[in-house]
Amino acid sequence: MVDTVFLIISIFTIFSSIMVILSKKIVHSAVYLAGSLIGTAGLFILLKAEFVAWVQVLVYVGAVVTLILFTIMLTGKGEDEHAN
Amino acid sequence: MWTGDTMTNAYELIVNILTAIGVYDQIYNLFEIFGMAYVLKILIVSVLIAVLFAFVLVTVMFLTWMERKVVALVQVRYGPMVTGPRGLLQPVMDGIKLIGKEDIIPAKADRWIFTLAPFIVFVPALLIFIPIPFGNSLIISDLRVGLLYIIAISAVSPIAVLLAGWASNNKYSLLGAMRAVAQDISYTIPLALAAIAVVIFTGSLSTVDIVNAQGDYWFGIIPKWFIFLQPIGFVLFLIASIAELGRIPFDFQESESELVAGFFTEYSGMKFAMFFLAEYAHLFAVSGIVVTLFLGGWNGPVIPFIPVQITSLVYFLIKTYAVIFFTMWLRDTVPRMRIDQLLNIGWKIMVPLALLNLLVAGFLVTAGVI
Repeated sequence: MVDTVFLIISIFTIFSSIMVILSKKIVHSAVYLAGSLIGTAGLFILLKAEFVAWVQVLVYVGAVVTLILFTIMLTGKGEDEHAN
Repeated sequence: MWTGDTMTNAYELIVNILTAIGVYDQIYNLFEIFGMAYVLKILIVSVLIAVLFAFVLVTVMFLTWMERKVVALVQVRYGPMVTGPRGLLQPVMDGIKLIGKEDIIPAKADRWIFTLAPFIVFVPALLIFIPIPFGNSLIISDLRVGLLYIIAISAVSPIAVLLAGWASNNKYSLLGAMRAVAQDISYTIPLALAAIAVVIFTGSLSTVDIVNAQGDYWFGIIPKWFIFLQPIGFVLFLIASIAELGRIPFDFQESESELVAGFFTEYSGMKFAMFFLAEYAHLFAVSGIVVTLFLGGWNGPVIPFIPVQITSLVYFLIKTYAVIFFTMWLRDTVPRMRIDQLLNIGWKIMVPLALLNLLVAGFLVTAGVI
């Protein structure tokens, strides 16, 4: 059963990681990055490393992705029609 | 009768009750025949989580009614009175109305992210409840890092707010989202630091351990709650969590007089309802966390002949509703601050005070005073 869960999480993480570089809009990339980081946290939980998993969510999803989104929104003027 | 002290979570409680009735062995054997004993555990835990989420959603509907009634009480009005006894069915009618509304997506909005954002807000708001102890052994999972889990999960919602504001393609939405995230990020720091001061006393991040550490009495009469050991930490935590919730006096993300409705200006129908539900689920969760950390959790006087599970649940809910009532009362009494005042207080007063509080807590524990 752990193998099945591992497979699902791995596919999700790899798909998200690939979509980070294939997305046309940079905000979509950031969302996929958050998905791939959450997938990584899932892998840590499968390894019974709860502390590392939640620190991963707190630091990478909570802080780094937010910072990236902030930066994109404050600087992305004129690059595409959706940037404000 | 079962003994209340040996169980650690709701799954074991259900197994014990089923065993006491005498049906657990038969059900277990039925699954054992097909070699799928673990399916039974997954089934029981899924049902428990479904019950928890249903309970949270019903509470959230009740809270929307309670909020209106408290506002009405403060302003000497009646509030909702027409649907049901004293307007108690008003949230149901609101829900039906919102489901019936047209789901409008602005023409220039980013459709995918616009649809995704309410879900990213709503799911963490429900997931926070997993390690909150509602009563003795009434907890879905006693995580070893429960407090870190709560802080980490609530750190996800600013992303959704930012995405909702950006995807709406509306300047008011984006401004509201920017304010919301600036506020969330700056107030997470005193929030976490105040929580860490409690962890120093207990030596554990598990919510159950934190509640158990508050079970004793000083001189046999004063309960050993952390509010008495950590008065500054309690005030900091309460202020920071009200700011995280974005309620008056800190509701800059949706301040009506400046930003229409902030990041959910463009939302309608069920998506609007999801933001609304998530907001009240957060309020319930945060009040539960305040009770768990500082107000003794489900601890209270033991009443003979009633199972401890029931009395502890009642104590927890009484304390939680007291905290919720306090935030609603505050909302109706205090005017909105300004965004620069908010950030000044957050960074220049609350963060240094939280660090000082942490230092004092560390000193008290190391010196062996407590």
